[in-house]
Amino acid sequence: MKELRRNMRLVGMLVVVMFLGLGAWFAMTAYTQGSIWASDVHNTRLAASNTLRDDITDRDGNLLATTASDGSRQYTQNEQARRALSQTVGDIAGMSGVGVETFFSSQLMDISTSLLDRLSELFSGAEHIGSSIQLTIDGRLQAYVSSQFPRGYSGAVCVINYRTGEILAMVSKPDYDPYDILSRSDAQVEDTAFLNRCLQGRYTPGSVFKIVTLASAIMNDPNVIAQPFSCAGTWEYQGGRIVCAGGSAHGTVDLKTAFKRSCNVTFGKLAYQLGQERLRATAEQFGFNENFKFGDFVVYNSSFPRSISGMSGLVWAGIGQGEVLVTPLHMAMIAGTVANRGMMMKPMLIEKITNSLGVNTAAGQPVAYRQILSESAASKIAEYMYEAVQSGTATRAKIKNYTVCGKTGSAEVSDDKSVETNAWFTGFVYDSAHPYAISVVIEGGGAGARMPSELAAKALKAAIEMVG
Amino acid sequence: MARIQTDRMRRALMRSNTRLLLSAVMLFQALTMVLVAFQSEAVNVQALILAAALPVATALITVIMGRLWPVDRAILILVLFLCSVGIITLSDIARADVTPRTQAIYSLAGVFAMFVGAAFVRRWTQWKKYTPMLMGLCIAALLSPYLPVVGIAKNGARNWVGFRTLSVQPSEFMKPVMILCLAGGFANRPRFVKCIPTIAFAAACCGILLLQRDLGAVLLYFLTTVFMYYAATSNAFITLSGLGMGAAAAVGAYHVIPLVKTRVELWQNPWTDPTGKGLQLVQALIAIGSGGLFGMGLGLGRPRSIPLYYSDFIFAAIAEEFGLIFAIGLMAVYVLIIMRGLIVAFNARTSFHSLSSFGLVIILGLQTMLIVGGNTKLLPLTGVTLPLVCYGGSSLVSTFFSMGVLLGISSMNAEDEARDIEQLEIREAL
Repeated sequence: MKELRRNMRLVGMLVVVMFLGLGAWFAMTAYTQGSIWASDVHNTRLAASNTLRDDITDRDGNLLATTASDGSRQYTQNEQARRALSQTVGDIAGMSGVGVETFFSSQLMDISTSLLDRLSELFSGAEHIGSSIQLTIDGRLQAYVSSQFPRGYSGAVCVINYRTGEILAMVSKPDYDPYDILSRSDAQVEDTAFLNRCLQGRYTPGSVFKIVTLASAIMNDPNVIAQPFSCAGTWEYQGGRIVCAGGSAHGTVDLKTAFKRSCNVTFGKLAYQLGQERLRATAEQFGFNENFKFGDFVVYNSSFPRSISGMSGLVWAGIGQGEVLVTPLHMAMIAGTVANRGMMMKPMLIEKITNSLGVNTAAGQPVAYRQILSESAASKIAEYMYEAVQSGTATRAKIKNYTVCGKTGSAEVSDDKSVETNAWFTGFVYDSAHPYAISVVIEGGGAGARMPSELAAKALKAAIEMVG
Repeated sequence: MARIQTDRMRRALMRSNTRLLLSAVMLFQALTMVLVAFQSEAVNVQALILAAALPVATALITVIMGRLWPVDRAILILVLFLCSVGIITLSDIARADVTPRTQAIYSLAGVFAMFVGAAFVRRWTQWKKYTPMLMGLCIAALLSPYLPVVGIAKNGARNWVGFRTLSVQPSEFMKPVMILCLAGGFANRPRFVKCIPTIAFAAACCGILLLQRDLGAVLLYFLTTVFMYYAATSNAFITLSGLGMGAAAAVGAYHVIPLVKTRVELWQNPWTDPTGKGLQLVQALIAIGSGGLFGMGLGLGRPRSIPLYYSDFIFAAIAEEFGLIFAIGLMAVYVLIIMRGLIVAFNARTSFHSLSSFGLVIILGLQTMLIVGGNTKLLPLTGVTLPLVCYGGSSLVSTFFSMGVLLGISSMNAEDEARDIEQLEIREAL
């Protein structure tokens, strides 16, 4: 019996200790994560709660989303603008998973774990008002760019300030009307309309990736700029061949000419000359294969193949084909890095967060992300990009009185030649008062020289006028 | 003369003042039910009746049982408290077919079962002789869902028997029976060879339940057997190898039974499918988070958005309505019952009674941990009930019976102690 009691005491103590552990775990997780759980979009209580979601405004203070006196959530009145902003602002149903309404719902409702706050609210019975969020987005600019996007096409436009990292516009097509979701007729909304292609679209970059290949070449061997390359329109190498657009021969060219005319043969040879280790190192410097955690939003990772077997893969990677993938935001950041003397800025979407007492609880500050290029290399690449706009493939991107630099791309997305290429443009205004970088991608838009370049010129011009 | 003496002793032994506890529980029951009754425009008459009935019933049961046998009143009152928490929560949130009225009727049946349990264990003196028979009965009852006509499959588990509207879950009812069997088999510190029939019996029970896909019950039966075996024999080697085999079986189940795999995956990350498979757990966590420290308030929460809020997820519903602090307090009540129950086990005079009360307490603790852990994402969800609180007749009646047995043993302890003191006094008088 004595032994039995001892054993029972042991097991009993074990059970009690397990209970203590369970209680401690429960209390800890519920206390620390409770507000995160409660602010989840699937919480149906939020719609009925006395917690008011506060406003979302753009950089000029224009309301993008607000809660009306009857408790309903209101978005921009103009339908076109509302749609243009749909994925950026999001919706309270959380259909756009990366929208501010979803990503910042706990701030917008200011669900606090603080015991003191909760107690005071308990006793005062006051209506709980969340924090308001001001975005770096220019609502007018975004609506304008969206309206200028070629009709019937899908794609994305991303405009950023390359000196501060502020995102000024993120247009993603197709878009949706958040009111359609609120009225529960979401069957009318195309599924892919909920994607914010600027952040969630992983595209083959095609020739816009030549910026990275060029950067790698210049950084690794400054003499490469004087090296002559010969282009016969096609290049047969061991195990395959590469062709320039339209099969046109560029003759003997230097790197500058090859870049502005977007010569595939030259850049294929350049990639081969560099080797995959050096090219991958530069790409990874630029943020490929990196798990971006910018804090203000979620952006998918861009990727560069981690190992390339055979010459063919390397040659194609050098011109941004194959397994190379990039998001439009990242592409704009790459162009911005060139413009910003080789310094990549951390992108930001939140200007400031103001709580119900009017105190700013968070304010966006420009943060340098990484020095990627030397100043001389950056200015060399900028010069080449300037040439591409002046007399190369991107001439339609010109804006009067401003120095625009850019690069076009026509990314093949299928081996079937009848499928139209994705049309790219990425570039920037070289102007310290108007430091704007842009990336445009139009799915199935054909050559980058046409629609994206024109759209980029319009968007950059509008940015100069509207943002100032 | 001696009779009066014993009565005095009895009362002296129950010196621990449970009156304060009883009053607090009665006050809690009355106040919460009044709150529920007046929460909407139309007065909830049913709740109002319960507001009077619950405290009165609690007091009556405590007094009557205390008069009949010198039971441990603290355990009794806490058991009644837990039961009333179930009724209150259901009065507050339940709708349609799951009503506090049915739960109250189940509770009455449960209280009856508790008296039966106490009376039964006090008379079960021939346990040595009858244990094999009881084992046979247990196996037969567990097999009964396979009978034609009365066998029923629900939620993918074939573990119900019933006729028309009345259906019961044998695996619930057999919990106390199985523990009495194990205690009978393991009593008096047998050698391993002598334990084999009992272990085979336990294995057979687990096997049957496994076939019925009543996985939560399998886990409970298994762990309780292992712990009781260890307590009875101190044989650490066999115990650890048993646990090892159990762990291996769990890994095997993960690969063989798709349900186990889904449960484990959902437990790891319910947010991958928040509107489909993960709905229950996600909604439970949201409910707990929404409740915060002090709860949304009775009737102000919306735990009905959790599927099965009244059974599998009643703990999350309580956490939302009453808040984190109350939910932790509720767990503390279980711990108090467990600790009082362990004291009953320590004081028992025979190893059979000691092991019985120990087993009943352990299974109660394990079951509570499994379901609370499942509700709070500490453990994968197993479909066991929150003892005494969650909606459902079988579990309620069975747990009441178990607690009745525990109380019966506690009354026997008290009588034995009184007798000891009497002996002592007589000796002193001489």
